[in-house]
Amino acid sequence: MTTVSFMVMLPLLLHIGITMVMKNIVVQSIDQVPYDVWVFPGIILLIASVSTFSLIYRDLFDLRIHKKSFIPITLAPYGKTHLVIGFLVTSIIESLVYVIVAMGVLTVLLPEPLNWSAYFIVPLFTLLYTFLLGNLIITFSVLTDRISTYLSITISMFLFILFATGVLVEFDFYPKTIGTLLSYFPLSMILSDLRGILFFNRVEWGPIMIPVATALGWTWLNGYMLKRKLKQ
Amino acid sequence: MEASITLKKVGKLVGDKTILASLTFGVERGSLVAIIGDNEAGKSMLLKVISGIEYQEFGHVFINGLDSQKRRLEVLSSIGFVPHEIDLDPWLTLEENIRFMGMMYGIDIEMLNTRMIQLARDLHIIPYLKSMVQDISPGIVKKGMILRALIHDPDILIMDEPTAFMDAESYRHTWDLLLRLRGEKTILYVSQSLKEVEEAHDRILVLEDGRIALDGSLDKLLGSTFEFHQFQIEFEELSDDLFKQLSKLPKVKNPSRIGHSIHFYGRERNVFFEVLNAATAAIMKDVSVKKLGLQDLMDAKFAKDGIH
Repeated sequence: MTTVSFMVMLPLLLHIGITMVMKNIVVQSIDQVPYDVWVFPGIILLIASVSTFSLIYRDLFDLRIHKKSFIPITLAPYGKTHLVIGFLVTSIIESLVYVIVAMGVLTVLLPEPLNWSAYFIVPLFTLLYTFLLGNLIITFSVLTDRISTYLSITISMFLFILFATGVLVEFDFYPKTIGTLLSYFPLSMILSDLRGILFFNRVEWGPIMIPVATALGWTWLNGYMLKRKLKQ
Repeated sequence: MEASITLKKVGKLVGDKTILASLTFGVERGSLVAIIGDNEAGKSMLLKVISGIEYQEFGHVFINGLDSQKRRLEVLSSIGFVPHEIDLDPWLTLEENIRFMGMMYGIDIEMLNTRMIQLARDLHIIPYLKSMVQDISPGIVKKGMILRALIHDPDILIMDEPTAFMDAESYRHTWDLLLRLRGEKTILYVSQSLKEVEEAHDRILVLEDGRIALDGSLDKLLGSTFEFHQFQIEFEELSDDLFKQLSKLPKVKNPSRIGHSIHFYGRERNVFFEVLNAATAAIMKDVSVKKLGLQDLMDAKFAKDGIH
């Protein structure tokens, strides 16, 4: 399967497997937004998650574990944080391509068109989301040495993102304490704020700044961990 | 001459095991230095420490006068490293692998192309540049790895088994290039092929248990033993009495027997005739004499005890 056909197939599969099924259960959100429109940002960020997992596996974990060009890369005259930023930037750029293709595909399937500004806002939030999620996957990629462990962790993480960050249903459907706790997860904050902007023109800077600050600190920490892991 | 690489009391531990033990030596700029030693002697780790792949727990490594840990980023540009195992990305072409590393070092595209084509021509790998690495034989890939290490024009080239997996022609092309670079670049390499080391070195370091057991040119290393010859005489039947009789001859050194053959060393060739005279009654099947080489030096008896 070529990458381009996968880029087109993935949003279609998610639309068939999630949106078309769930909209018969949850017809509309608590704030009266039709479910297939409400779930759109979640599906987009889910696609960004899939691409980020696979891209960082390709660019970092696979190269490190299978000793393919990774040591020469670490011998290039750059600091480890600089290298981590490099991995993040490539995964963000490629994820944005995935997301833009997915937005094009899903727009055709939406019952009502999104505001044109959504086509700028969603990629911007994808950038932030991938920046944060990429750091999380880089941490797994640096700390784990076995493919089985890595796969277990990343699949678990993907399931957590799917079911516990508000992609499928609102946190109001969760038990109150758990819903509140999950809503403070930085990835949930990004999705929640994105929906606020898209559907209610409500911008909250807290849910934007907290993930940004977390991701910046995490990038530095990943650089430090990579340095320690490589003993360089 | 100016030192290109200087190690001062460098120690490396892996767990509780000492891999490198307080190594102190310098490598002159532009020289070709071969490192040999038994398995687990610490050869590859020494290359990793010098090239910056792993840090040392003790001591300092200076590259062109700069501390490799304190001035790491400046030092890295001066080094090209070729690991033992193949580590190119198999899903990229040879050219893409090389181009990627060139770009990592910030080389101008035009310069990168010129240098890549020139080196690929020297190494006879032009036809393989557009091939996926997974489709190329390991010997060619290894030449590609040498090209990749040279693409940023480093002052120092460090190689772990540079000609591993290569056929005779590739071996010749590779050493043609490397020997041309001698003088311009400092070349440090590890090899298990003593023939290769004998042919290509200005200096040989013999590593043993993380320490330098011997250091010098081949002639210098063989200095204490190069007058010796190795003799072997095969008899139809070598009795114990005859072996003892021959072993007691004053000029016969380190005698040993394998089946009906006696094996010994002697400083001069006329030792051989003394042995022949002493053994006239016995029937000889075969005789051989050879001058000592690096292989003999590496023999534990010489490396540790010398000839008595």
